Amino acid sequence: MTFIPTIVGVILITYIIAYLIPTDPVRAWVGGEKLLNPEALERVRKKYKFDAPWYEQFTFLTYMLFTGQLDDPIKRVKVIQELSFRFPITFELAIFGFIFSALIGIPLGIISALRKDTIIDFFVRFFAFFGSSMPSFVLYYFLILALFVMAKTTYLAGVPRPSTTCYAYISSLPSSFPIIGHLLFYVGQIPLFGSMMCGEWNIVWETAKRFYLPGLALGLLNGGFIARIVRNSLLDALSSDYVLFAKARGLPKRWVWNHAFKNALVPLVTVLGLQFGGLLSGAVIAETVFNIPGMGRFMYDSIIRLNFPAIIAGTFLFALVYVTVNLIVDILYALIDPRIRY
Amino acid sequence: MSESVYNLLSKIIDLYAKSREKVKYGWIQKNISKINEWKLMAYAYSRSYIGLVGGFLVLITVLLAILGPYVSWEEYWDYRAVLEPDLYLRPPCLSFTGNCPLLGTDEWGRDILAMILYGMRISFVISLLVVVLGVPLGIILGLMAGYKGGIIDEILMRITDMFIAFPGLILSIAFATVLPERIRGLLDTHPALRDFLLGLFALRPQEYSQLAALLSVFSALIIVWWPGYARIVRGSVLSVKEQTFIEAARSLGLSTWRILLKHLLPNIISPILVMATFDLATATLLAASLSFLGLGPQDPVPELGFMISKAGLYFPERSWWIVIADGTVLLLIALGWNLLGDALRDVFDPRTRRAIEVKARAKSLKEGKK
Amino acid sequence: MKLDKLLEVRNLDVRFYTYAGVVQAVSNVSFDVYEGEIIALVGETGCGKTVTTRAITRLIDPPGRVVSGSALFKRNEKDVVDLLKISDDELRNIRGNEIAYVFQDPSSALNPLYTAGHHIVETITSHRNVSKKAASSEAIRLLREVLIPHPEARIKNYPHELSGGMRQRVVIATAIANHPKLLIADEPTTNLDVTVQAQILDLIKELQKKYGMSVILITHNLGVVAEVADRVYIMYAGKVVEYSDVYTIYEKPLHPYTKSLLNAVPNVLKKIERLEYIPGTVPNLINPPSGCRFHPRCPFFMKGLCDVKEPKLVEVEKGHYVACWLHSKG
Repeated sequence: MTFIPTIVGVILITYIIAYLIPTDPVRAWVGGEKLLNPEALERVRKKYKFDAPWYEQFTFLTYMLFTGQLDDPIKRVKVIQELSFRFPITFELAIFGFIFSALIGIPLGIISALRKDTIIDFFVRFFAFFGSSMPSFVLYYFLILALFVMAKTTYLAGVPRPSTTCYAYISSLPSSFPIIGHLLFYVGQIPLFGSMMCGEWNIVWETAKRFYLPGLALGLLNGGFIARIVRNSLLDALSSDYVLFAKARGLPKRWVWNHAFKNALVPLVTVLGLQFGGLLSGAVIAETVFNIPGMGRFMYDSIIRLNFPAIIAGTFLFALVYVTVNLIVDILYALIDPRIRY
Repeated sequence: MSESVYNLLSKIIDLYAKSREKVKYGWIQKNISKINEWKLMAYAYSRSYIGLVGGFLVLITVLLAILGPYVSWEEYWDYRAVLEPDLYLRPPCLSFTGNCPLLGTDEWGRDILAMILYGMRISFVISLLVVVLGVPLGIILGLMAGYKGGIIDEILMRITDMFIAFPGLILSIAFATVLPERIRGLLDTHPALRDFLLGLFALRPQEYSQLAALLSVFSALIIVWWPGYARIVRGSVLSVKEQTFIEAARSLGLSTWRILLKHLLPNIISPILVMATFDLATATLLAASLSFLGLGPQDPVPELGFMISKAGLYFPERSWWIVIADGTVLLLIALGWNLLGDALRDVFDPRTRRAIEVKARAKSLKEGKK
Repeated sequence: MKLDKLLEVRNLDVRFYTYAGVVQAVSNVSFDVYEGEIIALVGETGCGKTVTTRAITRLIDPPGRVVSGSALFKRNEKDVVDLLKISDDELRNIRGNEIAYVFQDPSSALNPLYTAGHHIVETITSHRNVSKKAASSEAIRLLREVLIPHPEARIKNYPHELSGGMRQRVVIATAIANHPKLLIADEPTTNLDVTVQAQILDLIKELQKKYGMSVILITHNLGVVAEVADRVYIMYAGKVVEYSDVYTIYEKPLHPYTKSLLNAVPNVLKKIERLEYIPGTVPNLINPPSGCRFHPRCPFFMKGLCDVKEPKLVEVEKGHYVACWLHSKG
């Protein structure tokens, strides 16, 4: 249970950052230097307990956060609402980025392992170097130029969402089915999955059109790295004694291959898991360039405007995501590798 | 090509050995195996194409970064397009005549190529400062945590975990937003420091608030950088701590720091060096990204990422050359460090040197027989 | 081919094309294995014993290559095949089925992600048309045969849950699962405790008697050889230097290398005042010594002969062959 201090610590860091700010955030919220109304200022201050000592502030804000009552001072809505709107969008972006990274990286990695030290291997290595040296925003602009401006294959505004009837259906699920219903309800909040569940395939297609470009960009940037990991772990597995033993026993090629691949899977799962976790933390730059209203952009906006409640809520969400992703990776690890079971 | 590189490196090693010999007679004798290892590493490096290309790119980067601002034929603060409107956002042309810049101009009418020469200095200095200051910080903290253990270790590790759990970019954004005012205050009270830093980044005194923005980006990056190294160093310390030779050193009465410096550090210096090289690439890109988002210096400072973000407004018909030029420069800088780091990793791997030795021995046996 | 000869290897040549040069790992090696016998391949590390046995079923991966030679294997009364020339499919049928291997390190031979039972079951189902269930019960029976207690529980164990000795027994169980005619055991006991070594050797002997299979035992341990082998081949620097039946080798070793080997080990058959060591090191096989490869370390070195011409194996007495100028006309 070491993640609890991590979460607490993360929130703590937010407060530390807050204390570095010399300006009074409340002014920024209420409307900048031109003071509207000293009464309004006072009200806001009281509401967020700015006149109270810092530990009281901290406990108050955390409590409000956990009970879902925390208000966004700038947008005048509950912070929870904003998060529940933004997070599924980042999730969609993460899914597309993940799919493309895996689609590009894994096959390239396998090929370069099997054709070790040939031109293909060299090309994949080259590709990995470019992926890690290319400034992301430059690649984004170029893909936009190629596939949006010139070829008009995508669009860069808004996020496709399923119809209201669909949402009604999803909201009814928890009452129809006990446990699974609740799970499906949350999954359905993500527009992509929601529309899949309702069978609204045109929405799914629209989502693909909207997100494939950032997904492809992320895939190009990360694919090379994934390919190298796959290549190296596969080569290690293929040159191991158990593979030789499998060949020596006359096992069919496919079975021998399974021996190698299953072992190579272990480091791959870790890397892919961490990648997905990183994508979930919101690729701020991608969201900015591709105009995606996700978590990354949300955090950026909140920080710039010193919107504390939003920052705290967002930070907390990130910490949660981080811990969850790590947990899932650990579980997958234990599933694949019998040596790591508790 | 590789031969000349090897000869050059070999000569440098010899010169260094000779100078140590002058200071202390008999040094060469004592350290002959170490010198041999260095020469093997130099040979391995000179034979790797990746290393040579990377080294070449890095060399150019460093040269242009240092000389750029002096060589650049335009000043970055000149709003040229006011006086010569046809210089506004001019696409590149290849005629090399006076009024036609090779890489086009931006919306101020400034020659992109001239601006890049300034920008390289800024990018290079930031990445260098981040790595040169952040890495030792991380190392020292890691050493302390690993060696002392106990409460210090626990606290440091919790802090490190928190920083690693936080998405790096977000943390940098937070600090970069919050620090400029504080840093401005700091610079006000220390004019000498301010002037030194202005010179380092090749900026005019008028830009000192931009300097604060730059420094906040840099501080943000450093804060995010050290935990990684602290964790690695702590891990190595823990694994080495239990080994007997440490106990032996202790029983001889060597102080803690002595042990750490003389026995621990040399073992972990190679992987750290490799990581630091890769980090120079990452820091360059991250700094450019923060500037792209608007958190770094603003006009008129010609930071590469910032120029690209401005170009985004006019993209693509009226500014594609800016994105290509600045983007390629960033790409080549990062590529240089990445290639160099990869080559260094191979060079430091003892197996590479052993393979070279085996081959040399086999070759000499063959020739001896003839 | 004689009627009860199982394997006939002739003029085997294996080279490794490495960064440092061409390693002549195995040069012109020939040996025979008869039905029902245990032969030992003896030599120092690096003398080519492992490479030889892997080469015969084409288990050598690049940068290694079998350059020349033949390995005639008697599959049944009518069918004799050259293992080095048959198709991959036919070879796959023979591997794990008629020729089985036991490797030196059981911890690395077993895939850590698969259970002990899985290894045995897949070896059975890949060669025979039996259901997984039948194969599972057979696996239990096999584990019992290799003297693993509670085999029903053990088949579900992963390698890291078993001790070194048990792992090796599991490996042996997979090897005998399909009743092979030939078992190739590559230093099966080297990585195990001394007490376990004896058990494993006894096990191999028992199984050999029970199934009537032939065994090629690779070892550098002469004590093991004395225990188990019928005939012994002594290898040095990629060549066979002497071979005969086990008693002759021990009582009348002729090659200087064999003699040194025997002198370097406490020998309960003879009383020796002092253990001798063999001076020098194993030669570099990229550039092997000219003439007789042992000549740089040989106490009977004859200049002008031993470093110029390579001695061939000659029959000195019935069944006893030596490659040494001391025992043949130069």
